[in-house]
Amino acid sequence: MSFDYLISILKPMLEGAQMTVLLFIIAIVVSIPLGFILTLSAGSRFKPLSLIAQGYIYVMRGTPLLLQLLFICFGLPMIPVVGEYLVLDRFVAACLGFILNYAAYFAEIFRGGLLAIDKGQYEASQVLGLNKWQTLTKVILPQMFRIALPSVANESVTLVKDTALLYAVAVPELLHFAQTAVNRDFTIVPFFVAGIIYLIMTLLLTMVFKWLEKRFKFE
Amino acid sequence: MPIIEIANLKKSYGNLDVLKQITFDVNKNDVVAVIGPSGSGKSTMLRSLVYLEKIDDGTICVAGNHLVKDGAYAKPQEIKEINAKMGMVFQHFNLFPHLTVKENLELAPKMLKEESPAQIQQRSSELLKKIGLTDRATAYPAKLSGGQKQRVAIARALMLNPEILLFDEPTSALDPELTGEVLNVMKDLAEEHMTMIVVTHEMGFAKEVANRVIFMDNGEIVESGSPAELFTNPKNERTKTFLKRSLK
Ligand SMILES: Nc1ncnc2c1ncn2[C@@H]1O[C@H](COP(=O)(O)OP(=O)(O)O)[C@@H](O)[C@H]1O
Ligand SMILES: [Mg+2]
Repeated sequence: MSFDYLISILKPMLEGAQMTVLLFIIAIVVSIPLGFILTLSAGSRFKPLSLIAQGYIYVMRGTPLLLQLLFICFGLPMIPVVGEYLVLDRFVAACLGFILNYAAYFAEIFRGGLLAIDKGQYEASQVLGLNKWQTLTKVILPQMFRIALPSVANESVTLVKDTALLYAVAVPELLHFAQTAVNRDFTIVPFFVAGIIYLIMTLLLTMVFKWLEKRFKFE
Repeated sequence: MPIIEIANLKKSYGNLDVLKQITFDVNKNDVVAVIGPSGSGKSTMLRSLVYLEKIDDGTICVAGNHLVKDGAYAKPQEIKEINAKMGMVFQHFNLFPHLTVKENLELAPKMLKEESPAQIQQRSSELLKKIGLTDRATAYPAKLSGGQKQRVAIARALMLNPEILLFDEPTSALDPELTGEVLNVMKDLAEEHMTMIVVTHEMGFAKEVANRVIFMDNGEIVESGSPAELFTNPKNERTKTFLKRSLK
């Protein structure tokens, strides 16, 4: 194993890693707000909305992400009549799948955060004359996000690793390039390189969240 | 004219009657201590004054405005205006943990926008000085002792200039050595003629500071009177038993 060989496989693998990072960013930026909307919908007093949101969360958490990805990439186009309009770019389809799935997980995390807030916080807000919106935005949400932060961190690390599922829908990402190199060069070195790249990504992410947790410790 | 008139309050949970025909008045500048065994309905009564509990029947009139009259509540906007006349201090402080002491004080006035930010700031520093916590203005509640937290909670309630201050066992969650600092702040308020209703187990405070004591048991007002009357010469057997037990 030479240094030159490492360099030669590193280049395509880092390109693959870019795809991983891009998917991660898109998924996290969209699924967190969407998850939060789901949390509020699931807790809504308007029953139909609440039932739909709860059903959605149940289905997305109760079935494999891989199944959902395959369904969006290969299943949607097979639906009669409308199917031909549902042929999505693989990467777009994968983003959609990750967003829809992770939103459900984040919704559940935020719901836990909401439940952990003492009812005295609502009572104090009411007695101080805050309206519902002010109570939500100034009192409840900041605490909810703080409580949810460690779980969000965990889920984000899982998301980084789950991006490897892109492999199954043939979007060229990190793992894809590693596998290609392993087959071509009869060496397992690319697997180690891929592992190290994943480790670096999860490490950086963990550090960011640790910093956030410290920054919002409220002590 | 009394500042609070409470007549025939009734509330039940299922077939448990928590409040049965509660009737009493509070005059301006009164300090009313409400005592009684736990489960007697003291909190429910107090909380119904600020609409944290809904009563089933009866009348609550604050400064001439009916919050509820013979069981019929006022419109939401009127309820809000009536509640604004009262501040409430809770047993467990209920400070906002994600805000500093100063931010806890200033949040509500800033949201209500009735005063300029400069006025709000000035009042929060005055009140912090009054409760002796000027040096903790930028601390988060997690870093305060129980007694300090409760003093901040009192200051937070005072920020809105209430005419009446309600306390629900303000010292019950505190270590015994920390109750004094909170009771002292309340004594100061009494000397400044703040109208207060205080649910408390602190018989010393009730004796010294209150000008009227109400003894509640089992959802009823069993006896009420001046501290001198009630503590030295209770008429009702239930009052006697309760006092004997709690003065031990
Ligand atoms: N939400 C509720 N549901 C059912 N019972 C309640 C509820 N809140 C209070 N109670 C009951 O009402 C009674 C009076 O409670 P409370 O007003 O808290 O008494 P106190 O403050 O004097 O200890 C108690 O028996 C309590 O168990
Ligand atoms: Mg109580």
